[in-house]
Amino acid sequence: MANGRPGGDAGLELDQEKYDAAENVKIICLGDSAVGKSKLMERFLLDGFQPQQLSTFALTLYKHAATVDGKTVLVDFWDTAGQERFHSLHPSYYHKAHACIMVFDVQRKVTYKNLSNWYKELREFRPEIPCVVVANKIDADMKMTQKSFSFARKLNLPFYFVSAADGTNVVKLFSDAIKLAVAYKQNAGDFMDEVLEELENVELEKKGGDLSDKEEDGPEEKPPST
Amino acid sequence: MAFVAKKCGIQLQPPSIILIYEDRLKNNVRKRIMPVRNFSKFSDCSRAAEQLKNNPRHKTYLEGISMEQLQKLHWLLRGHLEGQSLTQSLEQIQLKETIDPEENLNKLDDKELAKRKKIMDELFEKNRKKKDDPDFVYNVEVEFPQDEELESCGWDADSDDEF
Repeated sequence: MANGRPGGDAGLELDQEKYDAAENVKIICLGDSAVGKSKLMERFLLDGFQPQQLSTFALTLYKHAATVDGKTVLVDFWDTAGQERFHSLHPSYYHKAHACIMVFDVQRKVTYKNLSNWYKELREFRPEIPCVVVANKIDADMKMTQKSFSFARKLNLPFYFVSAADGTNVVKLFSDAIKLAVAYKQNAGDFMDEVLEELENVELEKKGGDLSDKEEDGPEEKPPST
Repeated sequence: MAFVAKKCGIQLQPPSIILIYEDRLKNNVRKRIMPVRNFSKFSDCSRAAEQLKNNPRHKTYLEGISMEQLQKLHWLLRGHLEGQSLTQSLEQIQLKETIDPEENLNKLDDKELAKRKKIMDELFEKNRKKKDDPDFVYNVEVEFPQDEELESCGWDADSDDEF
């Protein structure tokens, strides 16, 4: 599980080990089809984006270099490229993520209702990472910004009204998400995740899977990153 | 391209698609009447539109006309055969081109999803501030306080108590 490495397929850059390095963070986008996840990415990155389509994984990667507290951070944004339609995402999507941006469409109730499913799935894999909730497409109906949405408040998650079309709060949202991801990583506070990883290792050993393979493939224990 | 489409419309009797186009070579404007054959109120409009667009005799003339437009014109023709007024038919078309907010788009196949996205993209493009617009601002920050006094969106009411 949570093993997204593409076997011998070298051309694909899906090396998730790099997310252990101090300067790399991984931020994932979640939400229903057509809520505007890719459009938000594109608005934030403007021409600076060169998305990589990894169609084998139904995944689009956007790379971005940000500066947080004077240090350069290399951010990989993961976008689902339609795999949300299979109702749950491959575990490797969540693997090693440092923050999550969860999006719904203020014009479509069903996308709001589905947030709870996305959130549930997120927490199965990443119990502790920061998560922000985004109400997109406010340009279509500004009245929605005068309404209360209790999903984020109940869970104590940051909440943003944004528009990928006119740009409202897009940059703020992404800068905050990057800061949260970096802070999370620095505090290396995801004790739960470490425990889960331990459990996975134990399970792998129990199953007595191909040991020679495990050498290369298994999630190795590492000292906490410095 | 030699033929530049200017306008496209319909003729109800016999059901036909009319194209006004400019012939660049001869430098004149002409009208072309393309009868829609074997068309009834039971016909599949998207297939009929496709057939017309790929018709060897018409296709060079129709290059500038989108499938969507041809399909719409066929809907109008069919509406007439069903005995609808033009206003009724137009309303129905409008309805087909709006998003049903209750529909779960996760459950659609690629083609249907692409259709919905196209409809949404129209509004997106309309409201879009582009990088090259003179009044473009990269970082637009607007505060929308979420205090408890606000009226509820009405979407939280049922069944969300687990959170």
